[in-house]
Amino acid sequence: MRAALAGLALCASWLAAAPAHAHKPSDAHLRLAVDGGAITGRLDVAVRDLDGALGLDGDGDGRITWGELSAAAPRIADYLAARLAIGADGAPCAQHLGSAALVELSDGAYWAVPVSASCARPPRSLDVAYSLLFDVDSLHRGLVHAAGQTTIVRDARPVRIALDQPTSVLSFVREGVWHIWIGLDHILFLTCLILPAVFQRRTQRWAAADSLRDVCREVFEIVTAFTLAHSITLVISAIGLIALPSRLIETAIALSVVVAALNNLLRTVDARWAVAFALGLLHGFGFSSVLIDLGLPSHELIGALLGFNLGVELGQAAIVAVLLPVLFGIRRTVAYQALLWAGSGGVALIATLWSYQRWVA
Amino acid sequence: MADIARRAARRPARRSGRDRRKLTVLALGAVGLAAALSAAAWVAPDRAAAAAPTYIPADPGQIIATVPTRDRAELAARQALAAAPERVELAVELARGDIERYRALSDPRYLGRAQATLARWWRLAEPPPEVLLLRAGIEQSIHQFPEARSDLDQLTRIRPSDVQAHLTRAVVATITADYAAARDSCRALAALASPLVVATCEAPLDAIAGDARDAYAKLARLVGVARSADPGVRGWALTELAELAYMRGDTDAAAAHLAGALALDPDDAYARNLLADVLMATGHAGDASRLLAGREQIDSHLVRRAIAEHDLHGPAADALVAAMRDRIAAAAERGDRIHLREEARFALAVELDAARAVRLARDNWSVQKELADARLLAEAAVAAGDRAAAVPVIAWARATGVRDATLDRWLARLEAR
Repeated sequence: MRAALAGLALCASWLAAAPAHAHKPSDAHLRLAVDGGAITGRLDVAVRDLDGALGLDGDGDGRITWGELSAAAPRIADYLAARLAIGADGAPCAQHLGSAALVELSDGAYWAVPVSASCARPPRSLDVAYSLLFDVDSLHRGLVHAAGQTTIVRDARPVRIALDQPTSVLSFVREGVWHIWIGLDHILFLTCLILPAVFQRRTQRWAAADSLRDVCREVFEIVTAFTLAHSITLVISAIGLIALPSRLIETAIALSVVVAALNNLLRTVDARWAVAFALGLLHGFGFSSVLIDLGLPSHELIGALLGFNLGVELGQAAIVAVLLPVLFGIRRTVAYQALLWAGSGGVALIATLWSYQRWVA
Repeated sequence: MADIARRAARRPARRSGRDRRKLTVLALGAVGLAAALSAAAWVAPDRAAAAAPTYIPADPGQIIATVPTRDRAELAARQALAAAPERVELAVELARGDIERYRALSDPRYLGRAQATLARWWRLAEPPPEVLLLRAGIEQSIHQFPEARSDLDQLTRIRPSDVQAHLTRAVVATITADYAAARDSCRALAALASPLVVATCEAPLDAIAGDARDAYAKLARLVGVARSADPGVRGWALTELAELAYMRGDTDAAAAHLAGALALDPDDAYARNLLADVLMATGHAGDASRLLAGREQIDSHLVRRAIAEHDLHGPAADALVAAMRDRIAAAAERGDRIHLREEARFALAVELDAARAVRLARDNWSVQKELADARLLAEAAVAAGDRAAAVPVIAWARATGVRDATLDRWLARLEAR
């Protein structure tokens, strides 16, 4: 995001500086991001360069209009598809080029095509066979931006890009934080358990908790129980002591969310830390499959495990730190009641749907 | 009464207790949010590839790009070459057209296109002579001087009467400080070309050898006589004349000659840059900036205008400087090193990074050794207080005996340290 903003700022200052486009040698940009076995990104090729290769200026008046360009879109698509192939670890990936738009770079308009590829397994290295334009412009360069580096393609020979495997402990911490944040099921599970913490049972009835300290203690118990449980299963599964099919695990995790949400509605178990522990065991298996997908380095297994787990804890601590004050602040209001009842009900429904989908898929 | 007073006394106390808790909750929330946001900034950036935003024009008539108009002859030649790719005369004709476009527009894309048209012959050790000449021209333009030199040596051997080959060889040999070879090529021209061409070829060699005054007088006389010469040759002669005047410190004469060259060809980027340099050196940065305004698409113009506006604290300075930084980054990204001279100047005058300027100027000196490159390295060395960095230039000045107003000033300051 920071980088994208900086890019915008540059564009703005550029436009202010010089109306004329830079005279620079021909470059095309291929930006790729890898997420598991899925590769997504964009290919930007200068419209002028495409004209050199394909002759887009239909009426030859020296001006390429949007009309001429859209009319030529199928030809351009064929040209690009025939000259770009993305593979992983020596095997081809199923590649798809999306529908194009334009992007304005320092030397004029570029044809911007969304690129996606799905590979059989998460790649350790990317193979990019890029043979655009070299036959019409020998000084053309394909710049492949992937894995935080730029690879310069100077001719039609394929290049191999080693992906930045998360090897340092810090990078595993990062992966852990990221995983808990994008893992909606883990977040909802935790949220469901924490929701009632600002509301406490007093002899026969429920009332808003008075003491922030009591609330914090209860949340701390829940989070600690969850952490302990998923750490145990994360470790035993990551070192290979127990291997369960991921379909089973994923479904069970979704069901655990259903149980946590229903517990808010039915009030069956008061000791939610016990729920957190029992069902947290399931979540640990889910974390370990992510860690294995990342390519767990066997020589630094301990560091990776610790780092990833620490990341997960930090990620969930951040969620709690945002959630808890909000809940405490609104605990006496109607909004809280609505959140507790409707929210828990909604989550129970969604998670039931997930369970079904994950089991069927 | 007492009861009311007691209640009144208690109320603010209770409220302040509640306020304190509210504050605690708020503070906790704020800290949590701040922590989460900063953590998000730390975790997320690698995920998204930074890319400029896209758009789709609404109007089909909107002009997206301008390209050279296609004339029928060129189109026909391209089709004929596609049908018979071995026809070297067609490839040479097409490549020559793109090199002309490169010269007129200073747009390096056309160099790459010319090279691609000659791809079939590009790697041959002994391509046809026409290809050799174009290949050498392209190599020279992308600063592959040793390759250009070797092609030109070969060409002048097999075609000793090729004027263009001797001229280009003289230029390349001068850039790489092989003055004996340059002199040979100029002498070979004596029997092939006009006295003005020969004199213009020899003038920089005489000047580097320490004889700028005589060289200037001789060339000025010939320029005065040959008023009907080809505008290209005349413009070239005027530019050389300006260089000689500038070497002697006669900036007025230099500016007048360059204005003459620009009147003959307003797109002569070399003459325009030199005039801007003369204007900036004489305290006329505003004139230099106006001279280059609207021509920033060419890097060598942009860098000079950015420096001029930077020195003037002009309103456009920030935008020009940002644009130049952008270009330098773009060139580095594609692995280009042909802008060393511009980059060194920019580092020296705008970034105020003398150490970096010295590094770049030294790298540049290892590629090309024109007077401008010598001045640049000496100036950077002065700015960095690094006499050792200028040793190659000092040695070169001693070996050649060159006298140049600007260079002598920098070298004197180095010696004074």
